Amino acid sequence: MTSAPRGAARGTSQRDLEEDADELVHLYGLEDDDELGDEFADETMPRIEVSEYPAAEQRDWRLSGEAAEAEDLGFGGWGSEGQCQDLREAYRYAHGRASEEYECYVIPEEEDEEEAPDVFCATCKLPLRALEKVLEEHKGHEVTPLSKALESAKDEIHKNMCRLEKQIIEMENFACHLEEVFITVEENFGRQEQNFESHYNEILETLAQKYEEKILALGEKKKEKLEALYGQLVSCGENLDTCKELMETVEEICHEEKVDFIKDAVAMADRLRKFLETKTDVELAAQPALEDQTLDFSDVEQLLGSINTIPAPSAPVINPQAPSSATGSSVRVCWSLFSDDTVESYQLSYRPVRDGSPGTDHTESTVTVKETYCSVANLEPNTQYEFRVTAQNRAGLSPASERAVYMTAPSPPVIKSKEVRSCEEAALIRWESGNLNPVDSYTVELTQAEAPGAAGVTESVVGVPTCEALVQLQPRQSYAIYVRALNVGGPSARSEPATVHTTGSYFRLDEQTCHPWLAISEDGLTAVRSERKAPTREPPPRSTRFSRCVAVMGNLIPVRGRHYWEVEVDERSDYTVGVASEDVPKQEDLGANRLSWCMRHTWAAPRHKYEFLHNKTTPDIRITVPPKKIGILLDYENSTLSFFNVDISQHLYTFSCQLPQFVHPCLSLEKPGRLKIHNGIPVPKHVALY
Amino acid sequence: MALKQISSNKCFGGLQKVFEHDSVELNCKMKFAIYLPPKAETGKCPALYWLSGLTCTEQNFISKSGYHQAASEHGLVVIAPDTSPRGCNIKGEDESWDFGTGAGFYVDATEHPWKTNYRMYSYVTEELPQLINANFPVDPQRMSIFGHSMGGHGALICALKNPGKYKAYDATHLVKSFPGSQLDILIDQGKDDQFLSDGQLLPDNFIAACAEKKTPVVFRLQEGYDHSYYFIATFITDHIRHHAKYLNA
Repeated sequence: MTSAPRGAARGTSQRDLEEDADELVHLYGLEDDDELGDEFADETMPRIEVSEYPAAEQRDWRLSGEAAEAEDLGFGGWGSEGQCQDLREAYRYAHGRASEEYECYVIPEEEDEEEAPDVFCATCKLPLRALEKVLEEHKGHEVTPLSKALESAKDEIHKNMCRLEKQIIEMENFACHLEEVFITVEENFGRQEQNFESHYNEILETLAQKYEEKILALGEKKKEKLEALYGQLVSCGENLDTCKELMETVEEICHEEKVDFIKDAVAMADRLRKFLETKTDVELAAQPALEDQTLDFSDVEQLLGSINTIPAPSAPVINPQAPSSATGSSVRVCWSLFSDDTVESYQLSYRPVRDGSPGTDHTESTVTVKETYCSVANLEPNTQYEFRVTAQNRAGLSPASERAVYMTAPSPPVIKSKEVRSCEEAALIRWESGNLNPVDSYTVELTQAEAPGAAGVTESVVGVPTCEALVQLQPRQSYAIYVRALNVGGPSARSEPATVHTTGSYFRLDEQTCHPWLAISEDGLTAVRSERKAPTREPPPRSTRFSRCVAVMGNLIPVRGRHYWEVEVDERSDYTVGVASEDVPKQEDLGANRLSWCMRHTWAAPRHKYEFLHNKTTPDIRITVPPKKIGILLDYENSTLSFFNVDISQHLYTFSCQLPQFVHPCLSLEKPGRLKIHNGIPVPKHVALY
Repeated sequence: MALKQISSNKCFGGLQKVFEHDSVELNCKMKFAIYLPPKAETGKCPALYWLSGLTCTEQNFISKSGYHQAASEHGLVVIAPDTSPRGCNIKGEDESWDFGTGAGFYVDATEHPWKTNYRMYSYVTEELPQLINANFPVDPQRMSIFGHSMGGHGALICALKNPGKYKAYDATHLVKSFPGSQLDILIDQGKDDQFLSDGQLLPDNFIAACAEKKTPVVFRLQEGYDHSYYFIATFITDHIRHHAKYLNA
């Protein structure tokens, strides 16, 4: 049997390994060791066999040859083919590999099949036939059944395989790391070399310069002296010439006649006198020696010195603000230094970004830190701050970095809990921003408040642009809803929660719509018309308030589902309850137009009159038992509005109404009285039929 | 008592059947119609009894009113008996349309020669329910009654005379002296019903009596509707739902 295809994955990993090993070897000029790759290959191979071993029945392609052999021989006494296979495997392990590749299996000895070994002598590490055990050789030796011995041998080899695998991985990692280090060393060397070269060149240049200067100066000096001396020489010559000339003249005079002699002699005597009176300078104009000049090498010394000194650092680079890294009162500023410079500390300066009015006090604060980051606290929320940083070491300060603007997170918003509206499937939440300046957006978070403190899943709605959100909820649960404000710096802390129960619908009466003669309770659920007459001064008519009928509207959540609520009424009062759309004409009665549907009760003792009004029309209906509590079911899906007598579960009437727009509960009191709304009631069974 | 099936038709997933039997109370062969909703295949359903008006048989309601869909949806067995004994050959029984044949008025006659056969009250309140309970998948505890015209009257008196027997019920005197448990009565009256304009129907009296006794009634006067089965067909669904509310509770 020759080498057959292994599993693809195994094969590739082995080849990669060999390649990597070769690469490293060539790269670093290490000794070639071909055995290295081969050993790896050999060690990994047997693993396949180990894992497939337990399936004795499995016909592995490698074993097919032997299996055929086993069939041919057909030794009846030894039982199943599987057993034979096991034995052959055992041979392999116990007798070692015959060649470099394990697949190539060579049976070292042919043994009589009928006397194949069935036990294993642990002492001699040999397989034996049971009979042999009693022989002298193995008396007293520890013997175990062959299958057990096979198992333990297999296990051990398996363990070793695993260890070798791990080692392979470690070595590979280490090789990679070494490569990186090599590269880094090259880089560092390059930098240092450059640095030194420039310093050194500077020094050389300075020295050359000094040399030139000195030579020049010396030359100048020499010239000066020579010129002075030459001048002297010239004047000496002149003097000599004059002397000579006078002498000759005197001689001439001495040879003249008495009369002429006397005349010239007097003149000459004068001349001579004058001439001799003038001093002759016989002092040297210039000294022959050139003075000593000490050269000033201080700047060269300084340069030489600075080769060894550490330079002041280069400017750090301040990072832009990482998203969501700020809180309402702090920001985390980070920067980096893109050079090898030694730095002892950093100085971070900051001040708030103002609109640029010159009068404002730009107080700048500074913090000194050793790390390349700093959390700056005690800041104002939702505010921008300008930061810059300098690095410092013994040599001095670096130039300042560019200015970066960081922003603190906003303050948490405040939910308007009195304005929360909900139904079985959704809730409408409104809040105040909580910040003077605008924020980028809001996030609404909801958790099911099943058990307080229990770790529930929090759902978030992000990117809410305005201070209101309609969130989808599951029916018959309790939720805690929080809001966060969001800006560049990150999210604010959570607001105080609003609790929402999704049983039934919740709404409140809206004071903005209420007729001046109606008083709404603090909880927004009761409307009272008192006996007292209207105030003398009528408030100016506003489009949001009812002006003709003494009515008020509620704020129902705009969700097209089913909404149910109950109104407690006084049997003897005149009242109207129902729904109307938001833009119902406020100067008309409820039910007098197409935008409102309602039930009206009028009591003219002893008769109770009931009307179901829409667009001024009502069916003719008699009701014998006056309801004390009226249940109202608004069903957008079926386009119906139904009224019930809650106490006796009696259905009173159902409107079929087209509701393209959203409607809200409304009620009015035609005479002094009181109406109270009950909310959050799940739809009763008898109502659900409608 | 042997029941002979006369007809069976599948309708809205259930079965509309007509049976004939020998009535003990009425001493003759009587037919009745019964609708079994799909739910009756797997369990007992409540029973709703319909009493038809003058001149009707068991056929009118099941052919003309269109009640099957609502009955199927609410899972109610609806039984519609004939309006009087048939073929008794009593002298004078076919002389007028509102007396005798087809005009049982759901009362038990007290005089000869009528009293042998004309015992519709007992038939409707005793014999028929027993027969139905024994032969069909109905829950004997959940029973309700309604009707039109003479049948409406019949329904009211059956209910009022048997407090607690009928769970929800659709007449004036009885109400005044009705001692019993909760009633909830729904009445539709066509405004153009000539019997109303003729003064044969006096709903106001009934309503007033109910108001006095605080018996819950919703009475609806339906504009433009008359006495016919078209009127019945329009509102039958509301009525079946009204009964289902209590029968299925």
